[in-house]
Amino acid sequence: MQPRKVLVVDDSKLMHKMFEVMLRQYALVYASDGRQALDRLREHQDIDLVLLDVNMPNMNGLEFLAQLKAGGGGDGMAIVIISTEGRDEDTVRGLEAGAAAYIKKPFHSEEILDVISRLPARSAA
Amino acid sequence: MSDRPPAPTASGLELVAELRSALDRAGELARVAELNLRELAARGGDAGGPSLATELERRLATAESDVKELASRLVDSEHQGGRLMNLYVATYQLHATLDPAEVQATIAEIAINLLGAEKFVLLLRKDDAPGCDIALVGGTSNDRRDRREAPEIDGLYGGEVYAGGDPVVDATLEDGVLRLGPTADSKALAAVPLRVQNEVVGALVLLKLLDHKPILRAEDRDLLDLLSAHAASALFAARLFATKDRKLRTLESLVKLARGE
Repeated sequence: MQPRKVLVVDDSKLMHKMFEVMLRQYALVYASDGRQALDRLREHQDIDLVLLDVNMPNMNGLEFLAQLKAGGGGDGMAIVIISTEGRDEDTVRGLEAGAAAYIKKPFHSEEILDVISRLPARSAA
Repeated sequence: MSDRPPAPTASGLELVAELRSALDRAGELARVAELNLRELAARGGDAGGPSLATELERRLATAESDVKELASRLVDSEHQGGRLMNLYVATYQLHATLDPAEVQATIAEIAINLLGAEKFVLLLRKDDAPGCDIALVGGTSNDRRDRREAPEIDGLYGGEVYAGGDPVVDATLEDGVLRLGPTADSKALAAVPLRVQNEVVGALVLLKLLDHKPILRAEDRDLLDLLSAHAASALFAARLFATKDRKLRTLESLVKLARGE
């Protein structure tokens, strides 16, 4: 997959900087929680990849996915969960909620790039 | 009818010229092939098929080996690039603010997101009394009450002040040497000294890693060293700025008061 625009959803400024350096070839927008992420999706219709943390204030990653699904959104985008929650049931819950892949923190940068490259190309919503 | 051959046309002459050129090239190729075969024969085998096949197989094996080595080096380079990126981002973010609370938050984010720490404490030496303030109790749990109630964060780190008691942490606070554990008498997985100009001003103590990260890896040592060198100076600069800023505001208020504003 060659994403047009990537939404990074994480409450850590460190992770925002990390993705800014790691994914400098892509256009990025940022959100610090699920609510902001929903706003960003409304503002940027061309987002086709979401990198999503789970543990966040206000609205966590799984709640964001539920809201997105309830609103009928997310058809034209791939969602990758990147979380410190590393149990098998966390992975299953994330994938069942609609994520295309689940990556555990801490991660290697090549792991993220590899997962993005393997994602199937999505048609625009 | 004449028995003389027809006069050559311009296109016919061009055809002949092309034919001659093609024959010259074929002759050159044949000479190169002959030279190669003689060279192979001179190296030990005869110029026949089997030795040529052996030589080609040898070259193919060498090429495959080279490709594997290059692939391995590429993976190593990517890995090294990732490590350097982590170090760069951590350093950048530590010095990106002059707000002490934000610096502490960055230290916590490095511990959680880059080192995979589930439980940790940040100790800062008291200015005017023995012992250390427990400046930060960190963990991945959303519920802050859970963090202090966790079994790894009991007793020694349960209050507001660390008065000593973990021999590994005490030794690190004393001599400023990074230590890895746990040991028989210490739960600390790592005691990272925080130093400013060779003075130990505190320590970051890792007490538990995430379940899917069983041990600290060799590459984590770089990050621990970075924290040791940069976290304290970033905190020190932020605290100094906050103190000066507070004093400046007080003086400005006094000046305004004196002017009757």
